[in-house]
Amino acid sequence: MVTFYRRLPKFDYVKPKGIEEALSLLGNDDEGRVKVFAGGTDVIPKLKGRLMKIPEVLVDLKGISDLRFLVHDEGRGLRIGALATIFEVAHAPFVKERLPVLSQAARAIASTQVQNRGTIVGNICNAVPSADSAPALLCLEAEVVCLSKTGERTVKVEEFFMGPNRTILKPGEIVKEIRVSMRPGGTRGAYLKLSPRSKMDLAVVGVGVTAVREDGVLKDVKIGLGAVAPTPMRARKAEGVLLGERAGDALIRRAAKLASEESKPIDDHRASAEYRRMMVEVLVRRAIHQCLRN
Amino acid sequence: MEKDAIKVKINGRRYDLNVPPWKTLLEVLREDLKLTGTKEGCGQGECGSCTVIMGGKTVNSCLVLGVEADGQEILTIEGLASGAALNPIQEAFVEHAGMQCGFCTPGMIMSAKALLDRNPNPSETDIREGIAGNFCRCTGYTKIIESIDAAAKAMKGGA
Amino acid sequence: MEAYSVIGKRVPRVDGRVKVTGEARYAADHEMPGMLWCKMLRSPYAHARILNIDTSRAERHPGVKGVVTGKDFKGWRWGWMPKTRDEAPLGEDKARYLAEAVAAVAAVDEETAEEATELIKVEYEDLPVVSDPEEAMKGGAPQVYDHVKNNISWEFHMDFGDVEKAFRESDLVREDRFETGRAITGYLEPPAAVALWDSSGITIWAAKQSPYFVYRHLAACFRLPLNKVRVIQPFIGGGFGGTKNDSLAGDFCACLLSKMTGKPVKFVYSMEEVLMTCRRRHNMIIYNKMGMKKDGTITGMQSRVIADGGAHTAIGPLTMYLTGCMSTLPYKLPNFKHDAYRIFTNNPISAAMRGHGVTHTRFAAEVQMEMMAEELRIDPVQIRLKNAINAPHETINKVTVNSCGLSEGIRTLADRPEWKGREEKKTEGSVAHGVGLSGTAYLGGARQRGHQSCGAVVRLCEDGSVDYLTGATDCGQGSDTVLVQIIAEELGLRVEDVDIKRVDTALTPCDAGSYGSRVTVLAGEAAQKAARDVKDQLARFAAREWEANPEDIVFKNGGVYVQGSPDRAMPFQKLAQIACYSGSGAVILGKGYSQYGLEVLDFDRGEGNSGTSYSFTSQLTGVDVDLETGFVKCTDMVIAHDCGRPLNPINVEAQNQGAAVQGMGQALYEEFKMDLGRTLNPNFVDYKMPLSMDIPRIEVIDIITDEPSGPYGAKEASEGAIVSTPPSVVSAIHDATGIWFKEQPVTPEKIVMAMKKRKSGG
Repeated sequence: MVTFYRRLPKFDYVKPKGIEEALSLLGNDDEGRVKVFAGGTDVIPKLKGRLMKIPEVLVDLKGISDLRFLVHDEGRGLRIGALATIFEVAHAPFVKERLPVLSQAARAIASTQVQNRGTIVGNICNAVPSADSAPALLCLEAEVVCLSKTGERTVKVEEFFMGPNRTILKPGEIVKEIRVSMRPGGTRGAYLKLSPRSKMDLAVVGVGVTAVREDGVLKDVKIGLGAVAPTPMRARKAEGVLLGERAGDALIRRAAKLASEESKPIDDHRASAEYRRMMVEVLVRRAIHQCLRN
Repeated sequence: MEKDAIKVKINGRRYDLNVPPWKTLLEVLREDLKLTGTKEGCGQGECGSCTVIMGGKTVNSCLVLGVEADGQEILTIEGLASGAALNPIQEAFVEHAGMQCGFCTPGMIMSAKALLDRNPNPSETDIREGIAGNFCRCTGYTKIIESIDAAAKAMKGGA
Repeated sequence: MEAYSVIGKRVPRVDGRVKVTGEARYAADHEMPGMLWCKMLRSPYAHARILNIDTSRAERHPGVKGVVTGKDFKGWRWGWMPKTRDEAPLGEDKARYLAEAVAAVAAVDEETAEEATELIKVEYEDLPVVSDPEEAMKGGAPQVYDHVKNNISWEFHMDFGDVEKAFRESDLVREDRFETGRAITGYLEPPAAVALWDSSGITIWAAKQSPYFVYRHLAACFRLPLNKVRVIQPFIGGGFGGTKNDSLAGDFCACLLSKMTGKPVKFVYSMEEVLMTCRRRHNMIIYNKMGMKKDGTITGMQSRVIADGGAHTAIGPLTMYLTGCMSTLPYKLPNFKHDAYRIFTNNPISAAMRGHGVTHTRFAAEVQMEMMAEELRIDPVQIRLKNAINAPHETINKVTVNSCGLSEGIRTLADRPEWKGREEKKTEGSVAHGVGLSGTAYLGGARQRGHQSCGAVVRLCEDGSVDYLTGATDCGQGSDTVLVQIIAEELGLRVEDVDIKRVDTALTPCDAGSYGSRVTVLAGEAAQKAARDVKDQLARFAAREWEANPEDIVFKNGGVYVQGSPDRAMPFQKLAQIACYSGSGAVILGKGYSQYGLEVLDFDRGEGNSGTSYSFTSQLTGVDVDLETGFVKCTDMVIAHDCGRPLNPINVEAQNQGAAVQGMGQALYEEFKMDLGRTLNPNFVDYKMPLSMDIPRIEVIDIITDEPSGPYGAKEASEGAIVSTPPSVVSAIHDATGIWFKEQPVTPEKIVMAMKKRKSGG
């Protein structure tokens, strides 16, 4: 049967003041009876569309001040709390200056209205393969701190994504923060998003690149790809040919071609696999050039 | 499943409300408070017709639960004019034909207000980005951009 | 030419203030005490027989006050013509498209109504789906209607002159296949209404561009006289043709449920519901053949059009008619053959949309003409100037044109720096710049079939303020403002002195509604005449007062005076008082009607005028194409629009800009992805309408031609630019890439793949 819902389904709402309370509400629920949320920009449309199991309780994390932070220091790098909004991350001076790949990626997400509510943590928890923050976080080798009643664990962001809309989070587990350790001085970055319009689209292909060049030689280069595999991925073979080399045009082209071959896109109604693969090559090449120009 | 009590300030006025958790802020505004100026277009946070300013920032009110607005200060289209005197942005939209059917207009004006509050001297690119989360099907945006530009100039005290 | 006081001025919208304050009420903003909410249950199959519907559980659900299904409408069908009545308020025997409504619930609130729809049990027999019109036309395809052979919903055949001879005598003949794409109106306000059926009949506040269609449908469906069906217009959140010019399931269900429950009933569609089930533009495949002499003269054209009509006929026959009857403009066409087929499929219903019918074939003809000009090495400006008609002109199918600014428009564009400098700004890195042109005609004052006339009543209040009653609906295009300007001009008043009342079928004169660019032209004519009627009556009072001739009384700048004798003058308000209070009092009403008596349109042969006049739009579009990614950014548009005379220039600009961006959306971004009747992208992320970042700089230039038939020389100004935009975009993309794209939308992927194919010698 088809009903086009305009109203949300019925649920209870709780706004805990502390992490322990939130975790105890979650318990070991593996049936989706309890659902946490922060910005709501992914959860609410899904609930309206009856595209997920309707929880009995919606747990609003926004009352937990321990999750509300966006801090950096030279020692520990950047720490993005679960409640840091996409807008805050995109426009934080530290992020714009030192982690431009992340700032550019955050700015590419949806609209200002969505960015004002949505969180970077929420963006990765939603785990769509085209999530804009993901390629940037992959380049930055970010770590995700997961919390449950039994304790804390840290996973690499690359391991966090398990498949379309699937993360490594276990029942009863939430993400507390994302950590980005300090990049070497002189790290440049670029995030390029390919889509038909200039705004609002899901990425057909998303490419994040960070690079450090010393005396003309690439000391560090990371390439993250979005929307071209079941999860966001690193293009390691491409990175491999660039590392330790002088970044000339021919080498960059070769790396871009390798990245394209490493990618595993599918055909869907947004684009064909063939086009996506071709665009990985173009965007990786451009992102590397842009990186080195900045 | 019961109603929750919330305290919220809307257009400068305080309200004590009891709302069920599954009601969106948009529904609370339109149905409980009869502030029907804010519109529901897509209900999915894509069109921007439901844009209001909450805590000083633009949000899609169709994606905010009423209960999440507890303790918040909200500005809707109804809160812009002072009695008979229109806000300069509203004046500019009327003078420069920034609206046609008017359905996107409340949300568009709220995005424009937030933009000009943040950046009183926007370039054309700034204006386009400032309203990039608001669809308009009638105007083709050109006169909306002109209206916001005119409002910015008027608010700085002359063109 | 006399100077006008308010005509031709940049008058702000009379409804601007209520729209920018949020005070303007739209259909969904209405509520009434005791109101119930209505929700539709819809078919999960694109094609299925409905075997049984069990509503008992829904009826027992607490809070549910009524449930209706197809059989409650007793076999009633509606359609645009008596012989095309194939649409039922709720699917009765079959569901013919995915999510066709099959039942409706009224409950105390919308959540309950939604829950209750899940309790209705429908048994379906799943049937094979036909979704490709060319497949559907073949024998042996699944039949959408048992009695309709080969799923042919409608066909038109037009034959003028001798195309075969023309092609034989041509120096160049081309045949190409074009496809126009799957686009929708894209209004932001979903259809909604509040309906009340009580002892006075039906009253419904509904979001409609044409309330008079709806009141006839409701009257016929529920066997009520028209004077017991009252449609009251709220403000409308955009129309663009199609859905809001017609009725939909919610309208009928809300009325019936109101009768059953004795309460007002409200429904609001969701946007996903709109994108999946509401009327949209026909996708058309056009096999076009054109002949040309080597000097560029067009000798003849033959078009075979296959349109995806979707599951019901709706206004489809008119769409197909317009694909052909307007092909003989804007260029001279001495030989023309047109075979158009509208095909039933199990897709959502296709109907009218801005640029109705003409958009499709003008796209094909315009692009093909340029392709041929390129082969003959004739410049895009020259090919158009060579073939453009000049007024007065009669086409081979008896379309008569009294004013035409096409050549002037093309020459204006040819003189622009964007055109003249196009060779210089060619390629920068991987981005190639291209500039393209197009020309089109569009009809205004649509006069096709059924009730097509307008009336106006102007009521003079005793204090000199003026009330204006019209059945013409402003769905955002600004007609209220222009009509008020006309009345104010005639009476020498300010716009603020004339108040236009909301359209209400109980009180306002019958009107065909807002489509076919008819409101300024036809309702304007009625308004002008009604105002003159009041003026004549007042002039007689003034003449008596001053012992002058009524013909010498002038109404201007809020005053009335005798021509040549300025001392015999008084304010308008004073004359109004004198007139209204004379004797035992006079009631001063002015009546006006739009013109009758045009030659009868030969609907079957395709002969005659489908409108009272024709606008001409010439357009220049500049694009930047990223040759590596295919990403297209429109950089400039210059639109030289001949609307006769712009009665409100700011409105004309605004309409052209809006139409151009809507056309750009269709040309570059908008496309429903269908899979056996299922819409895969019913949301605004994946159905990609343009946003503020996507638009070019748009300039509108008025080409003045003073149309004799239009009020103050006016012609239409809101549909030409949606027709002229896609071909100019495609032409610009060709200029940048060297490739002609014949299918809309021209997406980045299509561009990259075409370039790849060309490179590999394909």
